[in-house]
Amino acid sequence: MAEPLKVNKKNRKLAVDAKMADLCFTCGTCAGGCPVTGIDGFDPRKAIRMAALGLDDELINSRWPWICTLCGRCENQCPMGINLMKTFRKARGLRDRDKVPGPIHKGTMMNLQRGNNLGIPRDDFLSLLADLGQELAHDGCPGFYVPVDKKGANVITTINSKEPFGEPDDMKFWWKIFYAAKEDWTVSSTNWEGVNWGLFSGDDPAWKEQVGRVLENARRLECKTLLLPE
Amino acid sequence: MIEYIQSGRLTIDKSKHPQLTTAHDPCNYTRKSQMVLGKSYGPEIRWITQQLVDNYVDMYPPDMNNYCCGAGGGAWAMPYDKERIYYGRVKAKQILDSGAELVVAPCHNCRDQIMKGLTKEYQLPIETMYLWELLAESIVIEPWSDEEIAQATTMRDAQFERDGVVMEELEEEEE
Repeated sequence: MAEPLKVNKKNRKLAVDAKMADLCFTCGTCAGGCPVTGIDGFDPRKAIRMAALGLDDELINSRWPWICTLCGRCENQCPMGINLMKTFRKARGLRDRDKVPGPIHKGTMMNLQRGNNLGIPRDDFLSLLADLGQELAHDGCPGFYVPVDKKGANVITTINSKEPFGEPDDMKFWWKIFYAAKEDWTVSSTNWEGVNWGLFSGDDPAWKEQVGRVLENARRLECKTLLLPE
Repeated sequence: MIEYIQSGRLTIDKSKHPQLTTAHDPCNYTRKSQMVLGKSYGPEIRWITQQLVDNYVDMYPPDMNNYCCGAGGGAWAMPYDKERIYYGRVKAKQILDSGAELVVAPCHNCRDQIMKGLTKEYQLPIETMYLWELLAESIVIEPWSDEEIAQATTMRDAQFERDGVVMEELEEEEE
């Protein structure tokens, strides 16, 4: 026979706030509306019950918090206002960093060190912008270039590093809009990353650092509007 | 984008996209915005899309109860591909049921999942575009005046010199 569970509040990592799990009615609204209910035998209701019963480590070490996309549908409909999504994100954050699946922790560290998730060097970035800018200028937008570090610009935009890395032409969509609207805009030559993987890996300090950098760029360049272009 | 459209700074040609179009609600701009900012941006997504196309249909259920594409929360980058595609079956059905031929995704992650994941796996008869891609492809671009071009070129050259960017002129390659 399995050992009976001993709930010890002192050792809890997840359910520090009663709202996080203790209020649950076990009604299953969350599980019924979740597209991944059943994967690995988990569902949002069970996962919350695990947190309520002190099975913190079992939840943290499971794939559940990572299969869940933190879409928030369960939390939005929960009749008791339980913070399901926030609990699952917290479970992500409690995973040892070297056991975070995929590249999101490595990308976060890369971002902290080099200013973007993929480690694109400043010079490569600037010459890419210059080349693509010239292409667009020759392709229906005469006079176009990418204004870098332009002080006092109206709009400063971040860039998703996947675009300069793998889909550079996709940056031109926004550029065409700026061109047609004659916007006074700019992009920072450093820390221009618009993706915040600290949010997804549950890494609060990295999340905050990344947000701070985006704001710092806007302040340094005295821009009025910050555009997160997605 | 709303400001650009409302103020008339952009000229839009709706006839460029006559096909039936639907818009995907990213979790971050509906539910999570509601949680954090007290406001869902579902209505804005619809408003912008409907300024760009005449033929629009919502998915069901829309806005706050719309389903995640299946790649949220970093799942696009994570190694659980099978689970991500399984997750997306609900989104795929929503899209199919809407009858739309063009799906607008206002988020990088969602666009990748719908365009590169779901379209292939569930053989959806659709084209997927970013919301700003649809806008960029809908506007009528007027070239700048010679004066504006000259001014921009001066500023560009000053910037390149400051940043040490060396440009090869394209003209030579074209000849």
